[in-house]
Amino acid sequence: MNFLHQKVLIISLILLGFSNVSLADNNADALNARIEALEKQLNEVKTLLKQQVQQSATKVEVQAVKKEVEVAKAEQAEWKSYDSGVHLAGYGAVNFSAEDDRFNKALFAPIFHYQFKDSFLLEAELEINVQDDGSTEIAMEYLTVDWFMNDYMALIAGKFLSPVGQFRQNLHPTWINKMVNAPVGFGHDQASPIAELGLQLRGGFPVGETMNANYAFYVSNGPILELNGAGDEIEAVEYNASTGDVDDNKTFGGRVALTPLANTEIGFSGAFGDIAIPGEADRDYDVIGVDFFTRWKNIDLRGEYVRQQVDALATSAAPDSQEWEAFYTQLSYKLLPTKFEAVARYGDYNSNHADQEQEQWALGLNYLFAPNAMAKLTYEFNDGLVGTATDQDQLLVQLTYGF
Amino acid sequence: MFNYIKNLSCELNRNIVKFGFVSILMLFSGMVNAADDDSKAGNSTRGAKQWADNCSRCHNMRDPKEFRDDTWRNIIAHMRVRAGLHGQQARDILAFLQSSNFIAVVNDSNLMKVANADGADGESTYKQTCIACHGANGEGAIPGVPKLSERLSKSEATLLSNIKNGFQSEGSTMAMPAKGGNPSLSDADIKEVLIYLQKKFK
Repeated sequence: MNFLHQKVLIISLILLGFSNVSLADNNADALNARIEALEKQLNEVKTLLKQQVQQSATKVEVQAVKKEVEVAKAEQAEWKSYDSGVHLAGYGAVNFSAEDDRFNKALFAPIFHYQFKDSFLLEAELEINVQDDGSTEIAMEYLTVDWFMNDYMALIAGKFLSPVGQFRQNLHPTWINKMVNAPVGFGHDQASPIAELGLQLRGGFPVGETMNANYAFYVSNGPILELNGAGDEIEAVEYNASTGDVDDNKTFGGRVALTPLANTEIGFSGAFGDIAIPGEADRDYDVIGVDFFTRWKNIDLRGEYVRQQVDALATSAAPDSQEWEAFYTQLSYKLLPTKFEAVARYGDYNSNHADQEQEQWALGLNYLFAPNAMAKLTYEFNDGLVGTATDQDQLLVQLTYGF
Repeated sequence: MFNYIKNLSCELNRNIVKFGFVSILMLFSGMVNAADDDSKAGNSTRGAKQWADNCSRCHNMRDPKEFRDDTWRNIIAHMRVRAGLHGQQARDILAFLQSSNFIAVVNDSNLMKVANADGADGESTYKQTCIACHGANGEGAIPGVPKLSERLSKSEATLLSNIKNGFQSEGSTMAMPAKGGNPSLSDADIKEVLIYLQKKFK
């Protein structure tokens, strides 16, 4: 190596030394910046971790929650799967009569349901009414033990609402009936049977792909005859579903209905048997009925006809035959989207007794607070025996709630 | 003539009742053991239709959310007797009511994120779940159910939320249950059915 080379080498080393010093300074700055960034990130991670630790559950806490969920699931299952269940339903109503200028009805009708598995249901309805003198009347509307024998049949034993027609068995509760009163002829001791004490088979079954049918057939002690004040005429057929059987013969009856379309039903019903005045021979007794229901959009149309006949008996204190006949047609229209519903009903009740006969037009406007709570305003145009209540027009108001 | 018709109707009446008793006894002997079958479990989709077709024959429709599952069970047992429902109808209606009274967990943001929905599967969902109340023409099969064409102008987010969580239309006597009473509907199903509704009825 010559001298020149040595000089160049020395100068190069010196320059390299200088440049290394400069490079080392730059690296240190970058490193410091990076360390600071990492420290910042580390602090953020620490903060997040701290928050997460604070928010996250410990294993013990998770186990506790799991246990709570299991308990909740078991409790939920209890409500869905049980052997015996109890349910209280029913309805109540308060009426005001503008013509009489008084509150003339306060009704409470609780319905008790006790169910064992899907096999048995005990149903009982009480009707508790306040009377004119302030006392309270309690009546057993029905009490039945229902045995669901299979998918198509239930055996009903006890006091049950008559399956003849639709109004008495399904439409009379105040929150269902769209008018304040029952149609003429469909009240107690009028043309339509009310209740029976005995056995009933009822159920439904599919008919083809789209139709269904339902039926109810019963055997009962049957009704008894009520005489007029003079004791020489039959006043009414009393359906008090008593445990007595004056004629010692059973009454047979029933109803068969078809639902050919959605929300459409047509039913045929009837009953026959013997009936008697205590101490006298039996005489024949027959009931026939037809009912229908259909809906088109907001319009419901329903109607019902029933005729009840008691044969003559020459040896009786009240020898003449008697016949009661009633029908009604009702049209209701929901005034959507409001909560009002307009109702019109025509009814006619014919009897051999002039003081019982009545023809009625009724117009109503109901306000539905809920499907089961409503205020009703009904005006009845009544045409009956002049000078009696059956001939008096009246404005009625009712507040009713079904639960 | 009138008396002849009356006597004939009475005789006919007696024969119908007698025929009924004999028929029912035959039914009884043939069907008494036919009830226990797991395949007869209630189906909420069928139940929605049965509920819409049968319950309002007598009374106003009650809101499914009005009662708990256990209470509906007792009520439907009672209604089976009253309305002459057969067992399968009763089980189906009960399944519908019990699946319609739940309160949905609100998480509507996920609904908007459902991708690839084109409405192709919405028709079957509509026909299985919605048609009982809304009708084939979307004009409402039961009173109080509004025309769909009048409701579809709302925003997509609102409509999706209404389908998922249920909705009380103004003036209607009852609310639409969450998911139309079919809790098995997924977010994708709901999106599909909305697209179908918009194509079909808007």
